[in-house]
Amino acid sequence: MNTNIFQDYVNQMSLAAAVIIVALTVYVAGKYIKQMKTEKAEGELAEENWDGIGEYKNELPSGWAYTFLGTMIWALWYWTAGYPVNAYSQIGEYNEEVAEHTQQFESKWASADKETLLAMGEGIYLVQCAPCHGIAGDGMGGKAADLSVWGSAAGVLETIKNGSKGLGYPMGEMPGGVLSGDDAKAVAEYVAGGMKGEQPGSFAACASCHGPDGKGMGGMAPDLTTYGSPAFVADVLERGKKGFIGTMVSFKGRLTPIQEKAVGTYILSLARGE
Amino acid sequence: MFHWLEKQPFLFSVGVFLVIAFAGLIEIVPDFAQASRPIAGKQPYTVLQLAGRHVYIKDSCNACHSQLIRPFKSETDRYGPYSLSGEYAYDRPFLWGSKRTGPDLHRVGEYRTTDWHENHMWEPTSVVPGSIMPSYKHMFTQNADIETAYAEALTVKKVFNVPYDKEGFTKLGSWEEAKQSALEEAKAIAADMKNQDVKDAVARGEIPEIVAIIAYMNGLH
Repeated sequence: MNTNIFQDYVNQMSLAAAVIIVALTVYVAGKYIKQMKTEKAEGELAEENWDGIGEYKNELPSGWAYTFLGTMIWALWYWTAGYPVNAYSQIGEYNEEVAEHTQQFESKWASADKETLLAMGEGIYLVQCAPCHGIAGDGMGGKAADLSVWGSAAGVLETIKNGSKGLGYPMGEMPGGVLSGDDAKAVAEYVAGGMKGEQPGSFAACASCHGPDGKGMGGMAPDLTTYGSPAFVADVLERGKKGFIGTMVSFKGRLTPIQEKAVGTYILSLARGE
Repeated sequence: MFHWLEKQPFLFSVGVFLVIAFAGLIEIVPDFAQASRPIAGKQPYTVLQLAGRHVYIKDSCNACHSQLIRPFKSETDRYGPYSLSGEYAYDRPFLWGSKRTGPDLHRVGEYRTTDWHENHMWEPTSVVPGSIMPSYKHMFTQNADIETAYAEALTVKKVFNVPYDKEGFTKLGSWEEAKQSALEEAKAIAADMKNQDVKDAVARGEIPEIVAIIAYMNGLH
């Protein structure tokens, strides 16, 4: 550590400034003290006089006077035209800037790669989702849906066993135990695998609500072909859910489409480690 | 030039007063007339919500939580849309708070739910691991003061003309009616809760503080 404080140039400058300030103070104070001792006031006295105490006529310094007049004229303009026509509001500024930012955000990340989406999704998840679903996404011992199995065959199996409700689809509540054993497992594998390949025969039990192709019959029930994809997460975020565990609020309008996709991607990474 | 004015101290004082008072009026009157009117669709608190508000005040929630979202993106991203003055029209007193040891709560009803509050009030670290908020277990056993809440609602209705019982606004009615509707509201909340003692108490016709404060929190949006 440098112990000589005079080697630091900031200290040198501060010291120089201190010396200059002291010198100036001494000079100015001395000048006026001397003036008070020797000089006498002079000039033209104003007419008014209070018990013998008079006042000299001091004209305003012209620079000061013109500035003062200028502010008066400016005030008239501001009062009649400047403020009413051109009113500034903090809220207005906020609205404009946020709209602009959102637009930029959406176009900048329109084709974000997976790593970016994961990083973005993690940030949003930790703020908006973790208070209920837990930092690890495990639902904190049954306090909310366990997202670490969601999107996998285990998640579908869980739903088939327990049923599901509260997404607000016209078909209403899905009862638990529609399928069991190997039938349930086959359907779970099929749905979690993106519904590719041969449809297991037991899917007929699901088709009565979700449709033969699993697409939910045009919005009557959830679209199973999107299960395990960010699109399904976005759907739940929009709708909210009043399920068996508790209520999930709707995040409609709180996240932009890209943020929803990011959260969906992150949640899937929790379940599948992708 | 203005020596004549200085020679008239009384006139000068009156002039200065008028100029400053005028400026004050221009600043203040429009705000009172417009911005602080209730926003469209704003409902006065129900009796149960008011009781919850009293719990909120009693337990000094406002010492650590604010209820005012400023128009900054960092705040609206986390807490929801910025607050408007007309939203506080029925708040007596307002609970803006001055310090955020915990998060803002002005729109907590939009992103937290009955079951979450139940877990959180019982043991905050069970849902927010890093939380320094103390647990409020006494809310599960103490009963809310519905009488005082009704008295307050009736007072603001009569004295400040808060639109209770007007068409399209919160119904207040007589004490008996208000007590009944508060209990019904409490039952709907208790149905979403898991604590058996609270459920039993509501079934007996009591209203524990936790139910009232959850009603208040769910109404904040």
